[in-house]
Amino acid sequence: MDKLLDLWHASGVYNVSPGQVVMILVGLLLLFLAIRKNFEPLLLVPIGFGGIMANIPEAGLAFSAVENALHLGGPEVISSLATALGLDTTDPYAVKEAYNAAAAQAHTAAVYAANDAGYNNGMMYNFYTVAIASGVAPLLIFMGVGAMTDFGPLLANPKTLFLGAAAQFGIFATVLGAVGLTTLGVMDFTIQDAAAIGIIGGADGPTAIYVASLLAPDLLGAIAVAAYSYMALVPMIQPPIMRALTTEAERKISMVQLRHVPKTEKIMFPIVLLMLVAMLLPDAAPLLGMFCFGNLMRECGVVDRLSDTAQNALINIVTIFLGLSVGSKLSADKFLDVETLGILLLGVVAFGIGTACGVLMAKFMNKMQGGNSINPLIGSAGVSAVPMAARVSNKLGLESNSQNFLLMHAMGPNVAGVIGSAVAAGVMIKFVG
Amino acid sequence: MDNLMSEGLNLMVFGMGFVVVFLTLLVFATGFMSKLIAKVAPEAIPEPAKPAAVAPVATGSDELVAVMTAAVHQYRKH
Repeated sequence: MDKLLDLWHASGVYNVSPGQVVMILVGLLLLFLAIRKNFEPLLLVPIGFGGIMANIPEAGLAFSAVENALHLGGPEVISSLATALGLDTTDPYAVKEAYNAAAAQAHTAAVYAANDAGYNNGMMYNFYTVAIASGVAPLLIFMGVGAMTDFGPLLANPKTLFLGAAAQFGIFATVLGAVGLTTLGVMDFTIQDAAAIGIIGGADGPTAIYVASLLAPDLLGAIAVAAYSYMALVPMIQPPIMRALTTEAERKISMVQLRHVPKTEKIMFPIVLLMLVAMLLPDAAPLLGMFCFGNLMRECGVVDRLSDTAQNALINIVTIFLGLSVGSKLSADKFLDVETLGILLLGVVAFGIGTACGVLMAKFMNKMQGGNSINPLIGSAGVSAVPMAARVSNKLGLESNSQNFLLMHAMGPNVAGVIGSAVAAGVMIKFVG
Repeated sequence: MDNLMSEGLNLMVFGMGFVVVFLTLLVFATGFMSKLIAKVAPEAIPEPAKPAAVAPVATGSDELVAVMTAAVHQYRKH
């Protein structure tokens, strides 16, 4: 009978908390959205599944050795941890707080104490440490994106970089929104949190995760989920804004064919960009450096094997670990919070403002150039989200004029948006990091 | 609180300003690079290659065409 009772006490049903149940349901919802609705399935399947695994009661997959020891260990384990941290208590919450605030030396001592008691890091905690806390996974994904990006349309019409710049206004407007909500007392964000939330408006998953891992690791789960869900929703969020801000005549404008871009220019561009980053904004060097490296491998033509690996095998492997690691941050105590709602809300506002600014900038450039050379629909593609946003521009163009193919023209602002949001990320890290 | 708000405003003004300045410089740098490359190393390979490939066919004599047609006919009969 005792054995049976032990088994019952070790079971998930006995130990599960309401928060974990809700988070498992959230994980299932993400899986449903990914599998049935095709929402960014490459990321939301690992994130959703990771979220479920992180919330399995008593397994402690998403927790560090010390957290697991505090949760599962007896009073003697807790007091040995407290001693390691220089405390004299058996209250697990006090020990946990001390652990989170501890300097590196005491921190390490606590980890050793937990290891001595036989507790180890959870599997997903290790994934998170290796893939995201170190910054490796988002940067490798950025390298792969660089290897997949063709800068041809941008080089043929460099002015589209202005559209990519304008669309980044969504990021900074949202920072102000997050700060405003805090000032009004609705939410409680620090300036770092606000910056990490704003970057959702960059519509660039790896950039958002990279910035969040540096500035607001606690909000990373919510920010990544918001960023990827909204990227999937681009075809629904953008068109109403684009229609509202343009006239039928403007949507009908067809653009002249792009000039042919010689190979040498494509090879030189990542180097020029890297030099500019090196001179002006070294804080953006990790992101844009990897991006330029990936692109150089693609364009130089002598390392096709490396370029092929970067844009296929490697990016797939990294995506699996990135998704699971993000999932590990979907634990109930961090995700089930009114701030998550605020993040979801501010994220969609950031998207909307970015789209609107891109379109308005394109309208302005069109007016400056005589009113019949730039279709304002390509402005919305300035919010990266490659290539979804460019496809949306193309689709709306075809609706107004069935002979109007804007895809290649929209790819210019689209890749400009990737550069723009990486620059914005660098500025954020520089100013508030 | 006001401090946070002004920090946010600062971040917005400087951040957006920097993004615009950076991308404007990139526009100029790219334009300069394109011009430089067009001048120093113009892409000469594909442009002459096409006329060269087309030329022999265009100047092919009627006689040659006649001979080839006859040959094809001969071949098809067998």
